[in-house]
Amino acid sequence: MNVPLKIAVDLNVNGTDYPVTIDQGRNLVSVIRGEIGLTGTKEGCDDCECGACMVLLDGQPVNSCSYLAVQARGRRITTIEGVMNGDELHPLQRNLLEAGGVQCGFCTPGMIMSATALLDRNPTPTEEEIRIGLSGNLCRCTGYAKIVAAVQTTAAGL
Amino acid sequence: MSYCGPVTLTHTDRQVDQPRAQPPRFVRADGPDKVTGSGRYTADLSLTGMLAAKFRYADISHGRITKLDTTAARAMPGVFAVLTQADVPDVRFGPFVADRTLFAKDFVRFEGEIVAAVAAATPEIAAAAAAAIVVEYEPLPVITDLEAALAADSALVHEGWAAYGQADPVVRDRNDASFSSITKGDVEAGMAEADHIVTSRYVADGCHAAPIEPRAVVAQWEGNKVTIWTSTQVPFDARAGVCETLELPANRVRIIVPHLGGGFGGKCGFHYEAHIAALARAAKRPVRLLFSRREEFLAPDRRREGMIIDITTGVRNDGTITARTGWVALDNGAYTADAGFFPQLVAMHVAGPYRIPNVHVAAHLVYTNLQPSGSVRAPTAPQACWALESHTDEVAKVLGMDPLAFRKLNAVDTGAVGPSGQTFGEIGVQRCLDQATALVGYGEPLPDDEAIGIAIGWWPSFSVPSGAYIKLDGDGSGQIITGAQECGTGAVMTLRQLAADELGMDPEDFQLIYQDTSVAPYDMGATGSQTLFNNGRAVVAAAGQIAEQLRNLAAEHLEAASADIVLANGHAHVNGTPATTVSIVELAGIASGGELLIGHGSGTPPPAPLLVGSSCVGDLGMAAFVAPQFSCHAVRVRLDRDTGVVRVLEVGAAHDSGTIINEVGAVGQVEGGVMMGVGQALTEGTLYDDQARQRNAGLLEYKLQTCADAPVIRTHFVQIVTPDAGPRGAKGLAEAPNVATAAAIANAIAKLVGQPIRQLPMTAERVWGVMQS
Amino acid sequence: MSFTIATSIADAIAVMAEGARPVAGGSDLVVGARHGKAPLPEFMVAIDRISELADVTVDGSTLRIGALVTHATLMAHPLIGNDYSGLADASALVGSPSTRNVGTIGGNVMNASPAMDTGAPLLVLGATVELTSIRGSREIPLGELWTGPGRTSALPDELCTAVLLPHRAANAGSAYVRLEYRRAMEIAVVGAAASVLLASNGTIASVDVALTAVAPTIIRVDGIEALAGLSIADAATAIAEIASEQASPISDVRASDRYRRHCVGVMARRALEAAARRAGGESIAIPVNRALGIGAAR
Repeated sequence: MNVPLKIAVDLNVNGTDYPVTIDQGRNLVSVIRGEIGLTGTKEGCDDCECGACMVLLDGQPVNSCSYLAVQARGRRITTIEGVMNGDELHPLQRNLLEAGGVQCGFCTPGMIMSATALLDRNPTPTEEEIRIGLSGNLCRCTGYAKIVAAVQTTAAGL
Repeated sequence: MSYCGPVTLTHTDRQVDQPRAQPPRFVRADGPDKVTGSGRYTADLSLTGMLAAKFRYADISHGRITKLDTTAARAMPGVFAVLTQADVPDVRFGPFVADRTLFAKDFVRFEGEIVAAVAAATPEIAAAAAAAIVVEYEPLPVITDLEAALAADSALVHEGWAAYGQADPVVRDRNDASFSSITKGDVEAGMAEADHIVTSRYVADGCHAAPIEPRAVVAQWEGNKVTIWTSTQVPFDARAGVCETLELPANRVRIIVPHLGGGFGGKCGFHYEAHIAALARAAKRPVRLLFSRREEFLAPDRRREGMIIDITTGVRNDGTITARTGWVALDNGAYTADAGFFPQLVAMHVAGPYRIPNVHVAAHLVYTNLQPSGSVRAPTAPQACWALESHTDEVAKVLGMDPLAFRKLNAVDTGAVGPSGQTFGEIGVQRCLDQATALVGYGEPLPDDEAIGIAIGWWPSFSVPSGAYIKLDGDGSGQIITGAQECGTGAVMTLRQLAADELGMDPEDFQLIYQDTSVAPYDMGATGSQTLFNNGRAVVAAAGQIAEQLRNLAAEHLEAASADIVLANGHAHVNGTPATTVSIVELAGIASGGELLIGHGSGTPPPAPLLVGSSCVGDLGMAAFVAPQFSCHAVRVRLDRDTGVVRVLEVGAAHDSGTIINEVGAVGQVEGGVMMGVGQALTEGTLYDDQARQRNAGLLEYKLQTCADAPVIRTHFVQIVTPDAGPRGAKGLAEAPNVATAAAIANAIAKLVGQPIRQLPMTAERVWGVMQS
Repeated sequence: MSFTIATSIADAIAVMAEGARPVAGGSDLVVGARHGKAPLPEFMVAIDRISELADVTVDGSTLRIGALVTHATLMAHPLIGNDYSGLADASALVGSPSTRNVGTIGGNVMNASPAMDTGAPLLVLGATVELTSIRGSREIPLGELWTGPGRTSALPDELCTAVLLPHRAANAGSAYVRLEYRRAMEIAVVGAAASVLLASNGTIASVDVALTAVAPTIIRVDGIEALAGLSIADAATAIAEIASEQASPISDVRASDRYRRHCVGVMARRALEAAARRAGGESIAIPVNRALGIGAAR
């Protein structure tokens, strides 16, 4: 009988350590949503093809659907719930709202994670760099224009 | 207090198409939920004791069930319920043709048909139990060829078709689930007058709505009542489906839609709510269904239909069209979802927004052993517009006319009679042609691997009943309780602006209570671009009732006649004496001690226009376009001649959708619709194997456009205050931007290649193939 | 069942000797398991914390790329961008920014997909793979590693510890281009890498070309010694025909064999031209696909 091995690990999500006991084969998104209870990270394809599950690992965007949760031990995991500055919206969150870059909102958390990582790495991206930086996040609603504009506005304000 | 202010267009404004320098600020009410991750979508919900659902699908495309044994699955530890058609009421349902059952009954007719459902403690156990169900089939012929299926001796997808119930106007025969034709004038005589007759055939592959949120449903029973949280665009339609198939009265079924992660028509109709409700009842536990991306591709009855389109047009040497005939076969798939009205709708799109004295277009909705088709954003229009507008460029080429000049000559205009005999009021299609082409510099020199193509399209507004309530509480804050459904477009969000403008308040003074069938009155849902058009009317009416109450209260308070009271900036004042004022907050406080401030509204849906001189077979109300919307897209593309890869560089999109109430939201609809059109044009098409199974049911092989692919999109609204339309002369908008993009791309490619690409999507390999021929 | 977290090569190869499978980012394993390709291995050793595998170093005349170096690092690394541009081109095209952060060169090479982007440039750049087990290390040329789609000649207990690239001459240039239907999140429909040495008169001194996704493994184009002495333009024309001839593509959901055969010739020609321009000292930004507007149009 193939009994999944349970492993006890601490996962640091948005600055808080969460002790979890999980199957070795569990992907990170299912642990963030199911065990830790943060549902802002979405699942759209389970195959690295849509970007809805994007989180940051030590500041770098990673598709949490295709990443083993146990591999994230000892790393800083940032989810959409960790993006606000206290009670204040992050400038990118505010700019997305004001630009009209949010419609159904399902891609939005993943899009914000990719965009904040991009701006952390490159505070003055060209439009092409923004478009490539967000190219792993599919959006079906907006045509991307207002999302790109919001990232540009955010960069200009940095 | 009001930062948006009412948009009042004067006659002068109508001539000025330029957007205001400062468009109104629009921050959606659900925006903070969505950017912080705190907003809940259906898949985010969990209930104590909740089980996981999994379906067992047919996996073959056509067969007779010879054995169905659930014994082993039922015996597995952790399995709470296993259902087949034998376990639910024996109901055949369908809005146009009642050809469907919840679970397969005796036959399976497409690979994604549900044979059984399991509820179990975990998704893994549920999947194992679904796999343990024994089902055997006698294979039957797999029918996919539309023309062959229409032959009198073709094998049938539904042996028992003749006995099925149907909506009255539907005309059907064997594999033809719905036939429609539109006839005007005498096409034979019209063709005889022509100097040139041009005939074209175009074939469109099926494709998908592909919202980023996969479907999710949670159902929970308490006593004899069920609550279903579901990712539907049409909660009242979903409720009706549950009521019909499980034989329940509407007041025992409550549908709640949490935030909805996009739909694009794919989540219209009634899908899995009844399956999960039935599982939850049998398991005596709440049950949740979460679709994988693969299931999202294979199972729903909402694929965008494939088509074969034949068009023949007669023209004189001077460029005027004398006659047009069209013949369309639409792929219905295995069951008739809401596609019953598509034949008449596609006939309108094949005739097109042109002045044509003699017209005959016929269309068949053909059963096949493929996934059922249904409303996907502007159903039938992108494919039919692609075919018609490609054909239109072929006709212009025969005449040696510029495609723009040919369209300017033949497109309908204010006062003109359309192909189905409708006389138009003031419409902006000619101005859309001018504006879209100007946006991309049509006619200016381009590099030799670039070209600009143009296309025009049209789309009706849907005039249907809808309702809303509004209440102002004692502190002056308001709630809009509406049956309307928000699927991302912002249409429901814009209702706040309408209510606020009626009451002289700020949109942010209102919260929206929506997407709950037990709380709000009926609305058709996020479908047919109808939310603002119809629910906007309801909200304005409801707010009007409260405005009346406030004016009466203020009149008493200010010792004036209520007819003289003006509501503005959060206050009531006497007309002409703005200093004599009382705040709405104060009036609300007064009302809370007496007659409460409650409004309800529905209003009368605008009537359908008259048709003169035409006749329709299979008339489902689609030949008369209420408050018709028009658009022109002009698209600049670049072609890699070595490989056939096409990139879309720039899109000019001009739209007559009447008055634009929320400009930020409206531009977003155009940009999103255009982008979807780019995908449909180039990369989005479903591929099947020889057994009619999908070969690209995933987002790597079914390619949506990425941020890196998105062109520059320039939008222009030709704003005409349209009578018999929605609030303030607004028409619909969410579907129209999806109509003409693929067609315009096609015409740009045809210019570069020298001939049209006759199959959609126009993949790199297909473009290359045409260049080789 | 076991899951071991290794912090050194020695740790890792010790448990691999007992049957553990290495996992770095894990994307291929996790996705593969979920889609029923192969169950997740019962014995896994996490190698992502082995710091000695994470560096790009120069070792005499050899560039040593640790197996854990990611695509994101490769595409931005100056040593690779300057001297091994074709590898940088390919790394910059893999998947999306997030998959480039997670995907490693070792995982890519050992996955042995005939459609992997980094494979063709590594072949033409003369890469060897360092395989380490408790019996010691051995180096084998990349061409001898891949035996079929998803199959390698490495033994089950051998860990890929590095990819080694020989020194590049000043008159050398390389490039990788692929056919893509959209500008991101693609897998190569077909692709080609070229490495070119230019003679002082500007003609081709020698050329190596490898092809992606037209055979069960990535293949090297044979018998192109005769291109030496030709002008760049003549060599480019010739390589298109030779590449198409030597391809043995399949028809699948992405393309027909006929279209693949044609396009791989186009890609070979474009790769050779770009590599030659780089060999001549011209700077073409990484990746060539976007810099030259091949599959790009901004």
